[in-house]
Amino acid sequence: MINVNTNVTGPLNSMRPVAGTDFLETPKIGGSDGNKSGFADAIKAAEDYISNIDDLQQSSDMSIKDLLSGKNEDITSVISAVAKADMSFKLLVGVRNKLIEAYKQTMNMQL
Amino acid sequence: MKVDNGFGPIDIAISGLKAQGKQMNVISSNIANARTSDAGNGEPYRRLQAEFETDGELGGVKLDKIVTDMSDFLRVLDPGNPMADESGYVAVPNVSLPVEMINMNIATRMYQANVAVLRRYQQIIETTLELLR
Repeated sequence: MINVNTNVTGPLNSMRPVAGTDFLETPKIGGSDGNKSGFADAIKAAEDYISNIDDLQQSSDMSIKDLLSGKNEDITSVISAVAKADMSFKLLVGVRNKLIEAYKQTMNMQL
Repeated sequence: MKVDNGFGPIDIAISGLKAQGKQMNVISSNIANARTSDAGNGEPYRRLQAEFETDGELGGVKLDKIVTDMSDFLRVLDPGNPMADESGYVAVPNVSLPVEMINMNIATRMYQANVAVLRRYQQIIETTLELLR
């Protein structure tokens, strides 16, 4: 079983229902010192997330290879790894599309 | 256990799949040995039963232990059998095929239910991600 839950769910955590003061804990892009964050910071945060997703994809690849080579016969752990990688990748694609869209809108702005 | 883990439901559903897979192992062993007259210790095969336990608070399920069903062996009249006692009866395993079949149905449905949870959770995550579009 892969154990990468703790650091990859940062962005997923912010999807949970907001209860009480919980939302104050959600990681703020650009640091928690109250500085205003820029577009570059958002890109940097996405970069960090990409490496996490890459880890998940790697472990999903490894578990598929292990299954096919007969090293591991437990198909459910493959399903688990693939489901996690798939879910995180979809989140990444969603965030990426949103960022690109925001960039395009800004660039097309009439000055 | 932390509740706000985005992958929690996946791990829990997968643990259910694994548990029902082990239950299937036990059931297939019972059915395969339903007429085994010697289990290696001089007596007929005894039916096995899987016991499950929860894996921590708000966690999944895991196999606790596999226990042996100590109920009496069935007795079948077969005077020609060299293993028969003086009144002509032979002890056969305490496996009841209809019971095993029902247990197999239950295990299959439980497996499907866990798969349904997994699929539904993936769907709701996708629904949430639709909000980004």
